[in-house]
Amino acid sequence: MAEEIPDPQYLIVADADVLIRNALAEYLRHCGYKVFEAATSDEVIIALEEGAMKIDALLADAELSGKFNAFELRLWVRHHHPDVEIVLAGNIDSAAKAAGHLCDEGPHLQRPYDPESVAAHIKRLLAATRRQAR
Amino acid sequence: MDAQTILVVEDEILIRFILADSLRDMGYQVLEAGDGAEGFDILSSGQAVDLIVTDVRMPGEVDGLELTRRSKLLAPGRPVIVCSAHLLRSEAFHADEFLAKPYSIDALAEVIARLIGDPWQKRSQTHST
Repeated sequence: MAEEIPDPQYLIVADADVLIRNALAEYLRHCGYKVFEAATSDEVIIALEEGAMKIDALLADAELSGKFNAFELRLWVRHHHPDVEIVLAGNIDSAAKAAGHLCDEGPHLQRPYDPESVAAHIKRLLAATRRQAR
Repeated sequence: MDAQTILVVEDEILIRFILADSLRDMGYQVLEAGDGAEGFDILSSGQAVDLIVTDVRMPGEVDGLELTRRSKLLAPGRPVIVCSAHLLRSEAFHADEFLAKPYSIDALAEVIARLIGDPWQKRSQTHST
């Protein structure tokens, strides 16, 4: 009998900084998730309201901007999509740690690599971009 | 060996997700940017990017044509595919290929394969800075 393929699980990673967003999302894809990358709370709302997929969790920067700030967004999501797990992260290290916890609950049930290495990777990318901008 | 990396620059999150997810399913590595400035941040971060697929009209100061121009300054050999519902091919300066919107994923995949080959093809040195 053919092995049953489980339905994919979907997450949203929301952060205004593309380098942080890319790295967290890529880590969570290695954990087996399908990941939407949102730059603003407006994009989070579009993904939740207009996307055809059922979103399981939202990992958002606590300083997210847009129509709603991160805390207003949390209230909105709780009200309109109560099944979505919401994690707000205050900095790169806490975001990477939270991604590690989501990974533990995710489709693969194990971490592909250490989430601390994701934080270190993000910091290297940000430093490289700052050097280029000088 | 790492798969070839495509930077997808598109300001509509659902279109960006579908495009990026489809390209990942084909085996490419994909980096996503929500506008031209974010795309340039990625190019400036030192991450390897083998090809760019960009929309033209996006919010902010860096539209798809300006991103294409900047990419060609950084890496003249790196191909750029410009996609637009509003431009003509002749207006997509510096672009290696132009796709008029709407286009199919198959059409995009065919153009990508023509420009950089399959996901696991060895990177050409011509893209490097």
